[in-house]
Amino acid sequence: MSFSIPSSAAPEAAKAPSPVAEALRGAVRSPKVVIGAVIVSVMVLCALFAPQIAPNDPENQDLINMLMPPMWYADGTAQYPFGTDSLGRCILSQIIYGARVALLVGFGAAMGAMLFGTTLALLAGYFGGWVDRIISNLVDLWMSLPPVVLSLTLMVGFGTGVGNVILSIVLVDWTRFCRVVRSEVIVVARKDFVSAARLLGFGDIRIILREILPSVAPLIITLFTLQVGIGIIVEAILSFVGLSVPANVPAWGKMIAGARNYMYQAPWGIIMPILAMFVTVLGFNLLGEGLRVSLDPRLRRRTF
Amino acid sequence: MSVLAFDQVTVTARMGGRKVDVLRDISFALEQGEIIGLVGESGAGKSMIGRVISGLLPDNFSVTGGKVEFDGDNLMALGKSQRRALLGRKIAFIPQEPLSALNPVRTIGSQFGEHLRHIGIESSRRRGLMIERLKQVQLRDAEEALLRYPHELSGGQCQRVLIAMAFAGEPALVVADEPTTALDVMTQAHIVRLIAEQQGLHHTALLFITHDLRLAGHVCKSVGVMYAGDMVEFGPAAAVLKAPSHPYTKSLLAAMPALTGPRHVLPALSDHMPGLASFAGLAGCRFSPRCPVKDPSCANTRLPVRQVGTGHWVRCAEACGRADIAAASAMVSGDPAGDRASVDFENVRLSYHAARGFLGLQRSRFDAVKSATFKVREGEILGIVGESGSGKTSVGRLIVGLERPSAGTIRVNGSDQTYNVIHLTRRDTQLIFQDPQSALNPRRSVMKLLTQALEVGESYKPEQQRRPVAEALLRDTGLPPDCLDRFPSQLSGGQRQRVNIGRALGAKPNLVVADEIVSGLDVSVQAHILNCLLDLNRRRRLTMVFISHDLAVVRYLCSRILMMHAGEIVEEGATESVFANPQHPYTKALLDAVPPESADRPWPPMQ
Repeated sequence: MSFSIPSSAAPEAAKAPSPVAEALRGAVRSPKVVIGAVIVSVMVLCALFAPQIAPNDPENQDLINMLMPPMWYADGTAQYPFGTDSLGRCILSQIIYGARVALLVGFGAAMGAMLFGTTLALLAGYFGGWVDRIISNLVDLWMSLPPVVLSLTLMVGFGTGVGNVILSIVLVDWTRFCRVVRSEVIVVARKDFVSAARLLGFGDIRIILREILPSVAPLIITLFTLQVGIGIIVEAILSFVGLSVPANVPAWGKMIAGARNYMYQAPWGIIMPILAMFVTVLGFNLLGEGLRVSLDPRLRRRTF
Repeated sequence: MSVLAFDQVTVTARMGGRKVDVLRDISFALEQGEIIGLVGESGAGKSMIGRVISGLLPDNFSVTGGKVEFDGDNLMALGKSQRRALLGRKIAFIPQEPLSALNPVRTIGSQFGEHLRHIGIESSRRRGLMIERLKQVQLRDAEEALLRYPHELSGGQCQRVLIAMAFAGEPALVVADEPTTALDVMTQAHIVRLIAEQQGLHHTALLFITHDLRLAGHVCKSVGVMYAGDMVEFGPAAAVLKAPSHPYTKSLLAAMPALTGPRHVLPALSDHMPGLASFAGLAGCRFSPRCPVKDPSCANTRLPVRQVGTGHWVRCAEACGRADIAAASAMVSGDPAGDRASVDFENVRLSYHAARGFLGLQRSRFDAVKSATFKVREGEILGIVGESGSGKTSVGRLIVGLERPSAGTIRVNGSDQTYNVIHLTRRDTQLIFQDPQSALNPRRSVMKLLTQALEVGESYKPEQQRRPVAEALLRDTGLPPDCLDRFPSQLSGGQRQRVNIGRALGAKPNLVVADEIVSGLDVSVQAHILNCLLDLNRRRRLTMVFISHDLAVVRYLCSRILMMHAGEIVEEGATESVFANPQHPYTKALLDAVPPESADRPWPPMQ
């Protein structure tokens, strides 16, 4: 027996904070969470207020100033801070507008994958038996298909458009949620407090929603954040091959595709959108990783 | 020269900016061939002493005063590599959890062999030595055991291996940190005897850390009683057990239910041991806030050590030492049971089927409960006693309906409940789970846990009306009124167990099954919970099934007991008559395995 610090020290605290408040306080103290949250908020603000922030109309073609370098080069101008592409469109403005598609697809796909995957995971993990066998085998089967090929096939089948991009990502990535959440649900469902709830007359649905879901929520939040980053990359891949948004909507993948013919004369055209994507995904990953550690009481280091 | 000498050792922890003494002025000397026991409840700091010896203090802890001498060398002055060289060779440890102390992916032989290599035994002699040592600790088929993996052995067998390893290098000192806590009562007796035998054989100095004062009294020559980082009393084991001088030692002994003699209401200490965070506010005697002798002067002044006998000292004021702790009142006697059966089991069997072989085509059957026939009468407390794996927990789960029987009939309150699903029908039978850590949803506040039964069904009450119910349950279970808004992680172990009880009571059951609910608790907290259960039974005529492996606790609480062994009920009867005149050999063996109150009776029994 060692000093039982958390259990015996805590009761002396005057006003007890809830575990949620405690986790949030831990999260704010984690540098990963803070840096990630700042990057994500900047990107969200860019997407929401693109018309106000962007210096130019992203689709406006300035054919005199084609392939202009960024403003910090000798022949760059302050009018186009990141330069222009082969049609003379402002790269910065396209990146800012491109954040709209990226985040819409990222959040939408993550939300869908989360709802679909988590629902099946809760059913499989809680009921076990044949329900679990059917769902788990489906997941195994699904995961044996190569994800990029599967989403490309789905896109060809559905046709282009943002809604279909989201749908195809959901159909590919729900398995990730399902598998990870299921194993956590199994752990929680074996806890005695679930049996206790049954003895108190709780029905299955109520037990799942009131007892199990709150316990796996931190994991779901973390997976969601990581999934947003994945969604952004997949969207870029699909718009790179022209299967995503229509021609008049700016998207990062399309910018990369358009700039690759001129990448030796005008490398900024390809570097800038890649950088934007890199920073955004990094932001989500940092946020997700930080949340994972600070929301999981097992990983949170007890300092006393 | 002593093998091990602690001289005024103080260990300080840095917590944030503050410094807290987690061990204060610990002094004792352990001679060759001697056994000293360190006794205390969880949080007393007894394991910290083991860590001082091994040099494995937590990061922000350091020895700030006094010195530790081992074989005449100052341990603190030695370099890291010199200290590491001592471990295993000169100082050996027997751990608390035998299973987690062994590497699960390596065979016993490979781990034992590596240990022998570490202590410098040449390879040609290793195998012979291993077999010889394993035979000494009475491990059957010692040669066979070398090829086994830890999970293929029982906890007791693993502990035997670890004992053999600890004594293999003929160390000068062995530190046994709660070596039997994780084991069954019967195994405990064997293991204690083995440790004592090995210690006598090799003439080793042994430091025996335990929470069980009675056990220490039988094993050790001298005993040191620890409380919140202080050694409050030290003396010859017999003297400490017979004539305890510190109020804490007295309370600890008084709070342990007895196996013989008349039953008394256990006097329980209020509150629980202070945690590290509150040490700073306790400059003087750290026991003073809970001390039954209220002397305000102790709280602020550090008292000197006072001799009370040969080699027997106590750190307490003169007046307190003389005060009598427990004016024990006799138990309310009489059988409270009525005639009607609350639960009626008839030839109940519970089997599990495991799929085996290729594609799980072969099935093997395991009977957790072979055939159980018994009644629980209304208003009584029935004890079910047995070792782990005896099927007692399965019986409890069958009663409340968490398991369905494979054969036989179960009647609860007169109606046949054999095949009922537990939802809806069985709210009048509740189970109090063993481990409150797992039984309390960490995301519910105490308020929401206690009133969980009001969220559904007939007893539904809107949220505004739940608070009075929760407050009444707090009073029933003896919890402080300010804990309604706390969460389980912010409660002490004893408080959590009370919430666990309170939640079951919230469903207004007429039958409660309590499954080993005091086995993880300290003695003083255990006394509280037991008294609380007795009170509920007497005042509300609540029928109870109390499942436990601890015979003394069962004797204190139950009017009738069932003995279970390997899935079968081997003995049944009124508690006093079973204890006075056990019939089944298993019952006899179990009774013999418990360390008796009197230190004069030899224990552990010879085989």
